[in-house]
Amino acid sequence: MITGLGAVSSAGIGADDFTAAIRDGRCTTGPITSFDAGGFPHRNAGEVPGFRPEEWLTRIDPDRWGRSSQFAASAARLATLDADLRPEDLARARTGSVMGTTSGESAAIEQLVGEWRSDGLKSLSPSLVQAVPAGRIAAAVNTELGIDGEALTLATACSASNYALGYAYDMVGQGEADYMFAGGADSVNRWAHAGFYRLGALAEEVCRPFDTERGGILTAEGGVALLVEPYERAIARGARIYAEVLGYGLNCDADHMVHPNAATIAGCIREAQRNAGVTPEQIDYICAHGTGTRTNDATEVAAVREVFGDAMPPISSIKSMIGHTMGAASGFGALICCRALYEGFLPPTANVERVDPELGRGVDPVPGKARQAAPQVVQNHGFAFGGNNAIVILGKAA
Amino acid sequence: MTTDTARRPLPTDDFTPTLTTLAVTSTAAVSPAGVGTTALAAALAVGGATGGEATEGLGDLGEETLPPRPVRAVPPLPFAELLGRKGLRNLDRTTRLALVACQMALDSYPGSIGPGAGVVMGTSSGSVRSSGEYSLRTLQAERPYLVNPSLFPNTVMNCAAGQVAIRHGLHGVNATVAGGALAGIQALRYARNATRQGQAERLLVAGAEELSAQTGWGWQRSGALRPDFPLGEGAAALVVEPEEVAHAEGRPVLARVLAAEVGFAPRGRLFATLTTCIGRALDRSGVAPADVRSVALGATGQVGADRLELRAVRGALGTAGMPPTVDVRQAVGETFSATVTLQLAALVDTWRQRGAHPGEAALITALGHDGSVGCLVVRGPATSPAH
Amino acid sequence: MTLSHPTVTEEQARQLREIVIDVLELEPDELTETSHFVNDHDADSLLAIEILARIEQDLDVDIPQDQLPEMVNLAGVWAVVARNQRGGDQ
Repeated sequence: MITGLGAVSSAGIGADDFTAAIRDGRCTTGPITSFDAGGFPHRNAGEVPGFRPEEWLTRIDPDRWGRSSQFAASAARLATLDADLRPEDLARARTGSVMGTTSGESAAIEQLVGEWRSDGLKSLSPSLVQAVPAGRIAAAVNTELGIDGEALTLATACSASNYALGYAYDMVGQGEADYMFAGGADSVNRWAHAGFYRLGALAEEVCRPFDTERGGILTAEGGVALLVEPYERAIARGARIYAEVLGYGLNCDADHMVHPNAATIAGCIREAQRNAGVTPEQIDYICAHGTGTRTNDATEVAAVREVFGDAMPPISSIKSMIGHTMGAASGFGALICCRALYEGFLPPTANVERVDPELGRGVDPVPGKARQAAPQVVQNHGFAFGGNNAIVILGKAA
Repeated sequence: MTTDTARRPLPTDDFTPTLTTLAVTSTAAVSPAGVGTTALAAALAVGGATGGEATEGLGDLGEETLPPRPVRAVPPLPFAELLGRKGLRNLDRTTRLALVACQMALDSYPGSIGPGAGVVMGTSSGSVRSSGEYSLRTLQAERPYLVNPSLFPNTVMNCAAGQVAIRHGLHGVNATVAGGALAGIQALRYARNATRQGQAERLLVAGAEELSAQTGWGWQRSGALRPDFPLGEGAAALVVEPEEVAHAEGRPVLARVLAAEVGFAPRGRLFATLTTCIGRALDRSGVAPADVRSVALGATGQVGADRLELRAVRGALGTAGMPPTVDVRQAVGETFSATVTLQLAALVDTWRQRGAHPGEAALITALGHDGSVGCLVVRGPATSPAH
Repeated sequence: MTLSHPTVTEEQARQLREIVIDVLELEPDELTETSHFVNDHDADSLLAIEILARIEQDLDVDIPQDQLPEMVNLAGVWAVVARNQRGGDQ
């Protein structure tokens, strides 16, 4: 059961602000401020504006932790509040965290690169070096909340949060843990901006998934955390249950590092549905990976069509509003799925003017603003470099 | 060993699930001691230098140099011969080392791994040299986007795992755990869950760490390692599968991973947390402290952590006393996220050579600077291979 | 438009040939003017972009990414480079 949600994103801090922005179809990406993007032809991203970690963190000293760790710990702190728990409640139980990431503490690495360039490797700041290991992202969650269970960082790139949610579901389901935080974090960085631009995958102004004129992704950042606990525990403490994890599927293209593969993605969808014990007709909505590149969206729709035939459920991409938050992306997807199930709506795709006819018939990206609906079972997609596919199926709590 | 169930108030708390045993059915290592697990085990037996400070195996360090301290590098490897020439050009050293170890583990695996097999790769932050150089290029190039697109995947931490899957056509779960010193423990824990969930019947579990000027100076500047402790590199790979599958299909079991336990010390209570973690692992494995015949430590030479680790192990084993200890890092240098996998590969080779005593178990521990602790409890094969 | 390369210099043609040989890891005699990068030389989309990136960097030209589909063989590369010369000779 998912009983707590925390978000730090360009669309707001806290799950309520985040959800309000998404429901409204608000595009929250804009000009990059965290590095000098002047030399790049494309200069927009989804940054967390004016993030002040000390506002959210009580135990962690922001000077000693990287930006991604700060996002993760803040999101977990917010999820704890949202779940109506005190950190002491969590610390008394067997509580752990599993967080996904693509580039780890990339902001710390880029600061070190700056030092390297100016004064050589021998001038690297010890405190920055100590902040580099990506495993600190989950460690930050445990440190901030004073919890002594597992602290696992999964670096399976852009589907990592779905991996994390699946793992948390297993640990709680098997009785290895009483509570698990699952989510992800990443920071906007120059090297990924350059790499995606060079791949021809970076949008010029805005991200417009499924649109005829879609031009790619916008890199983005943030942290997201979902609190997972067993049904009996949630009921016993009278918790608000947003949604239930029904199951998940993972597989690997084993084909190409950056090119997605429709056949393996379709296989991953089938595996997730089998694991969750649902059939395609039961899926009411798909929260797409939906990066907004020509290749991703075409491949993703082809894979969905392979499983659903022409009866595809509505499929939308919140990356149109917050950009591609990398390791946190499928975590934000899972968060909005929880709220969609709990409140009864379908999240929209912003910036769609004309659905690309080359995607074929029957693609409903929920353009514009959220749509009132009563979804019961939804499917959350996450795909990544390395062909790491991960899909989680969530259901409305009974 | 009692766990702290007393303070847990809710109905789901006192349930401790049983553990499933993972069988190790193939091992491989490439390290400063050379190619293969036997070279590694031999270096461990002499307990010290691997005979060389030679760094020609590192190849081109760019315009940088290593810090002034002892280092251990993997000897020059014929990568083109081992991995094929095509497609090699753009692979960084972390990925190459991982590919070599995985290739060797599959070569010595008695059977076919199959397309449904998975990969779990341990890392700390991927290849910091690759991401650092990519980032530097954006500062130095005339225009910041004049970067090489083919090198971009190297900057992402799951590069090695993805490349292993591509090379061997492995479509099962493909995960990268970023655990630094704990990576090998976390990887086996992840693999155990994946087999239990039916996500893969067999998995390659590996760890890889490259020595570069960037990481070398990082260690030098962080002050985390005693100045005389060598920096190293290497990769190791294991094939793991449920014990009953290995038995049913007649594959020799080289070692059995009984427990892969982890914990976290949020407020500097590393000693108590590690002691509890080891106790829980032994308890859940059904292994008596007296059956632990060897301990592989993971923090030798780490400022502050090494003594703490030793004390915790001593505390957890109690009156059974302290068996001989080893740390593969003393032979091959600091190998961070490859350490636990290298330790296990060396241990398996030792058992293969001398035969494990009936019921003999080994303990492999690790702790991170961030507060993470963990350990493995491993038993030898059920019956010693008769050599 | 013919397959000739009216506006790339001999020197540029030599450079372009070297870039392609290097990126696709070919023996020099494997690459002809019309041998297909994908069908004959196992190129993929990433390597195609790498060729484009190397050309931009080494020859100091800007090539819009939407012209990538034309760069399927050496002749196509010459044509695209010729068209995008800085302050071109047309």
